[in-house]
Amino acid sequence: MGLIHKVKRYKFLYVLLSGALIWTLVFCYVPMLGIVMSFQDFNIFKGFFGSDFVGFKHFVTIFTDPVFLKAIGNTLLYNSVILFLGFPLPIILALLFNELRGVFFKRAVQTISYLPYFLSWISVVALFYAFFEMDGPFNDLKVMIFGEQIERTNILMDPDNFLGILFWSHIWKNVGWSSVIFLAAIASIDSQLYEAAVMDGAGRWKQVLYITIPGIWPTAMIIFILSSGSLVSSNFEQVFGFQNLYTMEQTQVVNTVVYKLGVQQGNYSLATAFGLAQGVVSFLIVYVVNIITKKFSNIGIW
Amino acid sequence: MIRHKSERIFNVINIIFMLLLCVVTLYPYLNQLAVSLNDGKDTIFGGITIYPREFSWVNYATVFSNSGFVTSIIVSVLRVLAGTVLGLLLITGAAYAIAKKDLPGRNFFVFFLIIPTFISGGLIPMYILYKNLHLMNHFLVYILPMAFVFYYMIIIRTYLQSLPPSLEESAVIDGANEMQILFRIMIPLSMPVMATVTLWLAVAHWNDWTSSLYFITKKDLFTLQYVMYKVVKEAELINEMMVSSAMTGNGGSAQQVSVTPESVKAATIIVATLPIVTLYPFLQKYFIKGVMIGAVKE
Repeated sequence: MGLIHKVKRYKFLYVLLSGALIWTLVFCYVPMLGIVMSFQDFNIFKGFFGSDFVGFKHFVTIFTDPVFLKAIGNTLLYNSVILFLGFPLPIILALLFNELRGVFFKRAVQTISYLPYFLSWISVVALFYAFFEMDGPFNDLKVMIFGEQIERTNILMDPDNFLGILFWSHIWKNVGWSSVIFLAAIASIDSQLYEAAVMDGAGRWKQVLYITIPGIWPTAMIIFILSSGSLVSSNFEQVFGFQNLYTMEQTQVVNTVVYKLGVQQGNYSLATAFGLAQGVVSFLIVYVVNIITKKFSNIGIW
Repeated sequence: MIRHKSERIFNVINIIFMLLLCVVTLYPYLNQLAVSLNDGKDTIFGGITIYPREFSWVNYATVFSNSGFVTSIIVSVLRVLAGTVLGLLLITGAAYAIAKKDLPGRNFFVFFLIIPTFISGGLIPMYILYKNLHLMNHFLVYILPMAFVFYYMIIIRTYLQSLPPSLEESAVIDGANEMQILFRIMIPLSMPVMATVTLWLAVAHWNDWTSSLYFITKKDLFTLQYVMYKVVKEAELINEMMVSSAMTGNGGSAQQVSVTPESVKAATIIVATLPIVTLYPFLQKYFIKGVMIGAVKE
């Protein structure tokens, strides 16, 4: 069958595909050209072609100005805590789910644990605000345990708590749902391995240690590589949602600074440069982590 | 099977842990449900747990008497419907074409579509693009930017490729064209994965609030999630709601308003999350299916 004939035969498929192609061109490739702005003093009236080129001026600002450095530091701190401390928790939860014997109980707990994942971040923020309010359940509980003399405080108003709030709200929202993929990995382990282990006298703990954990290890590595890029890109919805007048100044991250500079203050060039630096570093991290894990465990995403 | 004492102890601890997990997950939500159904003035005395002490619909009456709130629900529902339909068209169409292994140019198209998952211009170039396309303060800014998701396309494609090729071959022998094969055979057969992608799109559209934050300043285009953001984070909107409720008399006759910011917030949170909370237990199997298909691809 000739190429032209084939193209003709499949013309309906090209029509189907064209929507996605045009969309990708307009909404993904055209904005990529906007990266040019980060090397300009972009003026919206002069446009891309009329604005003056300034080279790496904005990047120098980003890596010398204390406000930006603070945002970079916060981003790295928050995300490394969430990545490294948060990463094992869904795996542990999946292992615990797997040890539950009652089918109905297991299903009920799993279903409940998935709930927060389907809520928007702003709903989670709203629920946290209500929970930690002065007269809210958290302070009620504190008074119940320690008595009336204990002071009622709103922990969301203290910048020192911000990291903890980000971490635990991330866990609260995602830990249940993140365990699904590990449960799937556990389910795909050959049951003969367990039978053989029982014959050899392995207890439940030994089975977990020598069969289940090695069985889900490749899945865990891939998830880790994929999420390593998040080290430099915060979840804007989460951070922006939890910021308030009392904590905002000290808890800025790259994404919130980009929003503030670009959308609120119209400083497009500087904001684009900051976003670009973040994107490049994020890609490099995934690339390097992939090389490292490939070297040590032969598991990689490409 | 021999059950050792240590295993029994572990089982008990595991079950207790699971119960705690349920409490921690559900309590904040049930608490807000109770507050939303409790008389606002009574809530101030504190101590509401998971059931209302003085039952009252007044908080819901207050939020629903606010025209902006009702408009935002309509906007949210409309964008979920329009956005999901458009997304399904683009994603399914592309997936069906890409699934065809001998489509001329296929590798180039996949490459073209995958590149943006690695590199993006970021928020600000997007912002300027939408400005130039006159999408600012336009309903379409909710629909168009989320109309195609590469990952969902891969999921549908993976599913389509797992169907036995003999189905399609026999249809071709019977004289069916590509359009007939897609609508009569492929889509009916891939209902489970279509349901998954439909739900993902619908949830993403319902939950999105940053589109309003970035691109919308006109009040009658706010989505419900953005109204919730305003209610929780800014005093302005909540005051307006309470004043309008006092004027229309919904807040409890002439003496005084019996709603408080806390109770109005609670009612807003419940309305904004109720569709998801009530539906997800019945739909979770579709979401899980999507994770499984995605994992196979990896």
